[in-house]
Amino acid sequence: MEELRILEENGDGYTKIYITGEVDIYSSQKLKERLYKIVETQKQDIKIDCAGMNYIDSTGLGIFVGVLKKAKEFGNDISVINLKDNIKKLFLITGLDKVFNIE
Amino acid sequence: MNKNGDIVELVIPFKAEYVSIARLTASGIANRAGFNIDTVEDIKVAIAEVCNKMVKYKSKTAESYKIIFNQTLQNLTIAFDCEDKSLKCMFDNEEDKLAISLINAFMDSVLFCPDDKVLFVMSKSIEGNN
Repeated sequence: MEELRILEENGDGYTKIYITGEVDIYSSQKLKERLYKIVETQKQDIKIDCAGMNYIDSTGLGIFVGVLKKAKEFGNDISVINLKDNIKKLFLITGLDKVFNIE
Repeated sequence: MNKNGDIVELVIPFKAEYVSIARLTASGIANRAGFNIDTVEDIKVAIAEVCNKMVKYKSKTAESYKIIFNQTLQNLTIAFDCEDKSLKCMFDNEEDKLAISLINAFMDSVLFCPDDKVLFVMSKSIEGNN
């Protein structure tokens, strides 16, 4: 199992977050704490780059939804970019492709 | 393979850190059964979603639960069981919708609380997914 890594980078008017590894019930707490902290401190739009994310379960998807709600409270938005095909399929099945901006 | 298929049983604790072991085992068994790589990934997701619920609603009396993989020439059937039968019907909550939608999408047959013998059974046809 590939360990979950989260990197943060400031762009021009947005924060970019790189997620690599696997997001499951065990690692998702780490993701939740980090994403909420970024949303609450940066208060700008966020792009989550998932090019290195190999796996996510419903726990992780639920965290994405919660973080999006929190970002909207601050008037910001979250885009999800570079999803692998197997993970994009999860967004389609659960209808989250209509909730997030997927690029 | 005998007429009832090959059976592999995995007994794991009700702990989040062991769900990845279930995924790895599922991957190996599904690969061996001849599923294509996309379907192997789908089966891994479905199994992990059930494991997540097992961990979330863990037993007060039992230390572990059992995943039973039964591979025949036609299907891979995966059953979940625990000595503690009070774990029945774990998918009643509204918040489980994401998990249920993934399991139903990825497996051909899903039975929640089918009988007194197991808690949950799902299966996937090998034909058309190999």
